[in-house]
Amino acid sequence: MRIFVIGAGQVGSTIVEALHEGHEISVLDMEAPRLQALATRFDVAVHEGDGTSRKDLAKAGMGSANLVIACTSRDEVNLVAGMFARREAPGATTVIRTSTIEYVELWREGQLDVDFVVSSELETAYAISRIIGVPAARQTDVFADGQVQVGEFEIDDDASPEVLGVPLRHAPLPRDSKVAAILRREETIFPGGDDVIVDGDRIVVIGSPGAAKTWSLLLWPAGGTVRDVILYGAGRVGSAIARVLLDQGLSVRMIEASRERARVTAEAFPDARVFSATGFDADFLERERIGSAQAGIFAMRDDAKNLYAASLLRAHGIPFAIAIAHEPVSVAAFEQAGIDVSVNPRGVTAEEIVRFAHDPRMQQVAMLEGNRFEVLDVTTRESSRYIGQTFRDMPVHGALIGAIVRDGRAIFPHGDDTLQAGDRVVVFTEAANAPWVVEAL
Amino acid sequence: MSEAAARIGPRRRLAVDVAAALNLVGTLGKYLGLAAVFPIPIALTHHEAIWPFVVAGVATSGLGFALERATAGVQGRVGVREGFLVVSLTWLVAAGFAAIPYLMAGGEQLSSPIDAYFEGMSGFTTTGATVVTNYDALERSVDMWRQFTQWLGGMGIIVLAIAVLPRLRVGGRQMMESELPGPEMAQLADRIRSTARALWLLYVGLTVLETLALASLGWLGIDDKMTPFEALAHAFTTMPTGGFSTQPRSVEVFSAAAQWIIVLFMLLAGANFALLYRGLVRRRPRLLLHDEEFRLYLAIAVVASAALTAMLWGYGIDRGEAAVRTATFQIVSIMTTTGYASTNFALWPALLLLTLFAVMFVGGSAGSTGGSIKVVRHLLLGKILRREIDQTLSPELVMPIRLNGSPVDERTVRAVAAFVLLYVGAWALGSGIIAVESAISGTGLGTLDALATAATALGNIGPGLGVTGPMGSFASLGAASKVTLIGLMWVGRLEIIPVAVLLTRHYWRL
Repeated sequence: MRIFVIGAGQVGSTIVEALHEGHEISVLDMEAPRLQALATRFDVAVHEGDGTSRKDLAKAGMGSANLVIACTSRDEVNLVAGMFARREAPGATTVIRTSTIEYVELWREGQLDVDFVVSSELETAYAISRIIGVPAARQTDVFADGQVQVGEFEIDDDASPEVLGVPLRHAPLPRDSKVAAILRREETIFPGGDDVIVDGDRIVVIGSPGAAKTWSLLLWPAGGTVRDVILYGAGRVGSAIARVLLDQGLSVRMIEASRERARVTAEAFPDARVFSATGFDADFLERERIGSAQAGIFAMRDDAKNLYAASLLRAHGIPFAIAIAHEPVSVAAFEQAGIDVSVNPRGVTAEEIVRFAHDPRMQQVAMLEGNRFEVLDVTTRESSRYIGQTFRDMPVHGALIGAIVRDGRAIFPHGDDTLQAGDRVVVFTEAANAPWVVEAL
Repeated sequence: MSEAAARIGPRRRLAVDVAAALNLVGTLGKYLGLAAVFPIPIALTHHEAIWPFVVAGVATSGLGFALERATAGVQGRVGVREGFLVVSLTWLVAAGFAAIPYLMAGGEQLSSPIDAYFEGMSGFTTTGATVVTNYDALERSVDMWRQFTQWLGGMGIIVLAIAVLPRLRVGGRQMMESELPGPEMAQLADRIRSTARALWLLYVGLTVLETLALASLGWLGIDDKMTPFEALAHAFTTMPTGGFSTQPRSVEVFSAAAQWIIVLFMLLAGANFALLYRGLVRRRPRLLLHDEEFRLYLAIAVVASAALTAMLWGYGIDRGEAAVRTATFQIVSIMTTTGYASTNFALWPALLLLTLFAVMFVGGSAGSTGGSIKVVRHLLLGKILRREIDQTLSPELVMPIRLNGSPVDERTVRAVAAFVLLYVGAWALGSGIIAVESAISGTGLGTLDALATAATALGNIGPGLGVTGPMGSFASLGAASKVTLIGLMWVGRLEIIPVAVLLTRHYWRL
């Protein structure tokens, strides 16, 4: 596929990183140093130019692209580039990134002439809402309209002794779920009934949303169901998170240092309790019983502040901390410091956008452990050699089918079930094997 | 003198452009005089003198014209600052205009200038307090003139002027806001002229409807007393929540059916006209039910009426339909600041009087023709108190005050609190003056009477509770009390703040 990317920032480079193998990529950006950095790392064509100039876009060869991705940090540039893409490359799929939720709503109503609109803020908010739903998971993704959930869990000694060290066939695991992989140090195990989960493992589970919650309780019995969250920061990301969580009926207390923004936020969200405070004052934390919330979300603009606030609230007794890491390098620092989950908005956005670059049979893709693993959502072909085989007889080739969607309903297959043509399958695989898996199905 | 010094010139003395303001007052007076034409046909049909109305009209229009010409050369412009002066002066002028026919044709009882001016102010401000003691002595044309002044004053003279005069197209909004009371004026259209026209259209429409409803009772033989003349006279004072009646015993003489019709129209008159326009004319009645103020307004009316019904029944004053009707009528009349009475409630026991006294402070809705504090302010004040209590515990908590779901501007919130304080202050001051004069002259006004008399004038209601009660008259009060009441009616109609602004030093001097 020929992909034309406008914007070589964090989102752009993550997209290039994920797609450079197997695709022909051109990148356009205003800043030469960024382009050079990209060109030295990957085999891509780079063009210096303005995303809002039709001349520049044409010169860079947008006309021959099959997929145009406008992912600069500026909405206006992306909108204009998307508009020109319609003229210059009428057959291409266009994807634009936006920071304004209003544009996403406009697009859903069919008022914006682009194929997909992806908002960093909304994607981040969705990611956080999934994490809140399965608090023991480090990362979760949903497939097949929310019927299938994939979660990555870190195993420690909090986990219930019913699962720790017990062969999987004897452990009380939810039936509509499957352990897709056990990651033990550098080793990846595609487990059978005799394998065990031990302290220090990471596991990937594919199952129904209900099963994911049960897993969360098995692996972190103290976690419970989150109903009450504290949210630091009421900027664009914070507001998007508040909107999504309030829609789900959670109780949200927001803390915002800027008086003016606190006022605007309080006006926008009648159901949230908004405090105009830094949230670093011991008196305030004590008086408002901030530490008694079930989860803290830290969505301020400054990663260092997020880290500090999370540590402070941890000290005040908050059991579960999720922090926004705007810089990819912060993710490691956050995890080192004991933050339970960190979310990188641009990474989440890139991941969402990368989904559009795959085979048309593929509906959705998620990346785990950086880019080491992928979860694919593929529709099987008539000609696939696995059609009619029982799952028991399928060879293990570094990939595992976690769920199939047949007639719109998700099934979590066991040994005796068979694969049928036209099934949508959710497959967990090592990234390197992904093209092969798609081919084979 | 240097060139710069010549440009700077001498110090400007006044911050407000009085000449420009007077010029506009002149224009308004010029057109206001035309209103005197209305009673002339009535005078002719009843073979009464027409010259009092001719004199009033010519004098007002002539003075207005003269004032307009005298200030014609002025370069000034009526801005926000001048607006306050225009509104305040216009209402003083209007009361004077209304008083001229009383002085000339009102006979003995209205011959004193203070009494005539009191009656005029009570008319235009839609108060309904009266110094008339002998209704039979009044000519029919003067009767109708009293009713008509209330009708003109109800929706506002300046709102009317904006609707018809092209001159007020610019800068009229702020003046309209001081005249159409309530913390936030609901916008019906982008242009204030269209808003003003829609409001007057609805006002005229409802008046016609009520006249027809009442007159049909007479035509059908249900109520012999309800002649077309009485129907129009009472529609003229129901819709502006005025309360003047052509009858010495107010609406007591009319049938139960007529009283219920009046209750319905009093309730409509006390509702927000912009809301009524959207709900009734644009046929979106659900808007009414979803409006917080309207719901509270109805709830107060229902609860207070039910409580009063129980008291009337309990004291054995009335029972059955009569108890429900008497209670509902007095509550709605006093609450909407109309001021009719269907019984002499001044004779009731103290508990019942206190109930009526309490609803004097409720008022109509914002943007209605009613006066007093108004339901929306009570609603906002409740929310403000609730917030203060919450913030005592959590000072960092940000809690926007909401009305119908949308946040209310903090300035408006403060203005509501300030208004209520000023209102109570003006009431206390007025009651004080009345009580002192009553004590000196021995008029025999009780404590509650003095308080209620000031409250009824400030709230533009009408009857008080003692000698100033529904079947009584304000005639026996002393001159100082009457002047005080005139002042209270005036500031009450303009919702105090436009007048209070005139009392500040920085209004006049830079």
